[in-house]
Amino acid sequence: MRFDLDLPAWKWPFYVARHPFEGFEDLRWKKAYNTKVAMVIVLCFFIITVCQQVMTGFLFNTSYVKVFNIVPLLVQTVILFFTWVIGNWSLCTLFNGEGSMKAICSVSAYALVPYLITQIVVIIASNVLLRSEAAFIMFFQYLGILWSTVLMISGIKTVHQYTVPKTLIAMLFTVAAMVVILFLLVLLLSLFQQVYVFGFSIYTELMYRFSI
Amino acid sequence: MPKMKKIATYAVSAVLAFSALCTSAFADQPYDGYNYDWWGDPVPSQAGYVVDRVITGLEFGTGTRYNTDTQLEEISAQEGEEIPKTQEVSALSEPSDLFIDEETKDLYVVDTKNDRILVTDVNFEKPTVIMDYFYNPETKEYETLNNPHGIFVRHVDDAENENESKMIYIADYDNNRVLGVYADGTVFQIFTKPPAEFYDEETTFQPNKVVVDVAGNVYVNILSTTQGAVMFAPDGSFSSYFGANRVEQTAQALANKFWKTILDREAAASFIQAVPMEFSNFDIDDEGFIYTVTESKSATTDVFKKMNPAGENVLINLGYSDYIYGDMASYYYLGVTYGSQINDVDVDENGTIRLLDYANGRIFEYTNECDLLFIYGGKGNQKGLFGDKVTAIESYGDVVYVCDSLKASITTFKRTEFGDIVHEAMALYSEGKYEEAREPWNEVLTRDSNYWFAYIGLGQAELSMGNYEQAMDYFYRNSRGGYNRAFKQYRMQFIRDNFNIFIVIILVAIIALIVLGKVRKHFKKKRKAGGKG
Repeated sequence: MRFDLDLPAWKWPFYVARHPFEGFEDLRWKKAYNTKVAMVIVLCFFIITVCQQVMTGFLFNTSYVKVFNIVPLLVQTVILFFTWVIGNWSLCTLFNGEGSMKAICSVSAYALVPYLITQIVVIIASNVLLRSEAAFIMFFQYLGILWSTVLMISGIKTVHQYTVPKTLIAMLFTVAAMVVILFLLVLLLSLFQQVYVFGFSIYTELMYRFSI
Repeated sequence: MPKMKKIATYAVSAVLAFSALCTSAFADQPYDGYNYDWWGDPVPSQAGYVVDRVITGLEFGTGTRYNTDTQLEEISAQEGEEIPKTQEVSALSEPSDLFIDEETKDLYVVDTKNDRILVTDVNFEKPTVIMDYFYNPETKEYETLNNPHGIFVRHVDDAENENESKMIYIADYDNNRVLGVYADGTVFQIFTKPPAEFYDEETTFQPNKVVVDVAGNVYVNILSTTQGAVMFAPDGSFSSYFGANRVEQTAQALANKFWKTILDREAAASFIQAVPMEFSNFDIDDEGFIYTVTESKSATTDVFKKMNPAGENVLINLGYSDYIYGDMASYYYLGVTYGSQINDVDVDENGTIRLLDYANGRIFEYTNECDLLFIYGGKGNQKGLFGDKVTAIESYGDVVYVCDSLKASITTFKRTEFGDIVHEAMALYSEGKYEEAREPWNEVLTRDSNYWFAYIGLGQAELSMGNYEQAMDYFYRNSRGGYNRAFKQYRMQFIRDNFNIFIVIILVAIIALIVLGKVRKHFKKKRKAGGKG
């Protein structure tokens, strides 16, 4: 651990990416969690996903570009991220996790950085490579995902002060918690919608009564 | 006042212009032409074919029996009633097959429920010949048909006389046989159910369709067996089964396979055996390839096959096994699933493939490489649309004949100008004359900018002329393979043209990195020194 480390907030994600294991320890020691930086990274996550849809070269673009809909992309990135953070926080506070919401949020966002960087490389490469050279693209794609996964595991382990197996189990349960959260969210939405329709039909009924 | 007059003139001319637009719309074909784009989405398209004539049999007037007068006397004696030489053809009854004899331009119609074969010519001008009694020299009796379903005519060059050079094979459905007759109606061969060691005795032998190859092997399509077509040697003996479909890989089939590996043999035997779909119709081309179609709402395996004489599907080897024939997607409406059910195929001398869709009454026209050309036809009560049961498709030149069993009619389609241009372009394209095909393809795009294949044709032309950038433009979102080829050339050319600049940029980058590293080192040293001091 480097106790003399003194980095500006925006440099931390990159430092952490280069030091997957001790980086998070430093981060925790320094209490350098920064929600603003995390939000910028989440925004980048969203923007890069959009770019990936529209700017990936024709040879590698599998998205249906006839209709461009931003809502699913928003769900896939921003909403997914926050469900992860909330799910992880609500689960790990129950299982002796030490991480605060802020810590989980920052660490999870910082862990995304390698994925985002490789994704940019992939988008650029997909415009200059041929189909026979797709292996390079696959390599970068997997590299980014692998690196980010390692960072995510290491980060969650550090903020909660867990052992590795416990981290993995917690992450697995977090995914389950996310499913439950999303299910309840959809349920809530549809219920509200029905309440709204009910209220609106009463309103129209009344309007008909009084207008005659 | 002159102003009023002016307004009136404008109004009248506007109305006239509008009505002119309307009339051109009314002179349309009764169906909407469409095609598929690269995404597999249906897009409106110009019609490649329009309905020309609808023949119900009444147009044929009086038909003549081909039998001689002495034969007719014997037939009358056999039947116990007067069989006249000429007879009113009258309406067809559930016709189920058509055959066009390319050499003599004869059109054979299998008039199923009337138990007869009608012979006319491709323009329906020749006096109709009725074939319903066939002389069997072995029994010295006259054979009749019972619910015939299919016909095939074969010409033999080395025959002893002209009569024997034309051999007609009739799939006689309810008589459980295929009748082989010469042009004069003399039976030369009867193909019946093969012996029990080859053919399951429980299974019926009701020939649905029949084709014959150049060597005289007879392929009989039977709907009750899933082992493929029953193949007879020219002498009438059973030789083998030909070209069975593969089993559709459903979840059920996979589960059965899994259980069979675990359970013992007796328990496994109790499972329902997964059997392939039987194919429902076939056609043969001049080179001896046999094309089969399988009529199924849900199955996608082997819907259309092109088989070599060994019974192998050659389209799979070309990588077309994933092709979807007929409509791209089935749709669900009011409790009924609507998907294509291909029940007949026609292959003409250019290799153009036409598939007849029983479910929607549509015809799908493909090139010999299975690229979609046109979709036409449809179901309905209007003239030119089909009833619920289309049965056969044939073509001669650029005229397409479709047999409708329910409406008891034969509908002919003729190719439009647009269809001609597409076919011209496609013919040049498949010969590899991409540059010559450029002009017709451009014409196609002027008439219908949705026509997907035109972009591929033009892209290919630009590619072969070395205009890689234009080729990329044409291939973009139209063909990945084409774009890949064009881009490869374009990239190579780009690098070659700008090689010097690349070298300079790389050198500058390397120098800059070295200098930057030195500078950083220098500053670091300075800072360290400063810190110490």
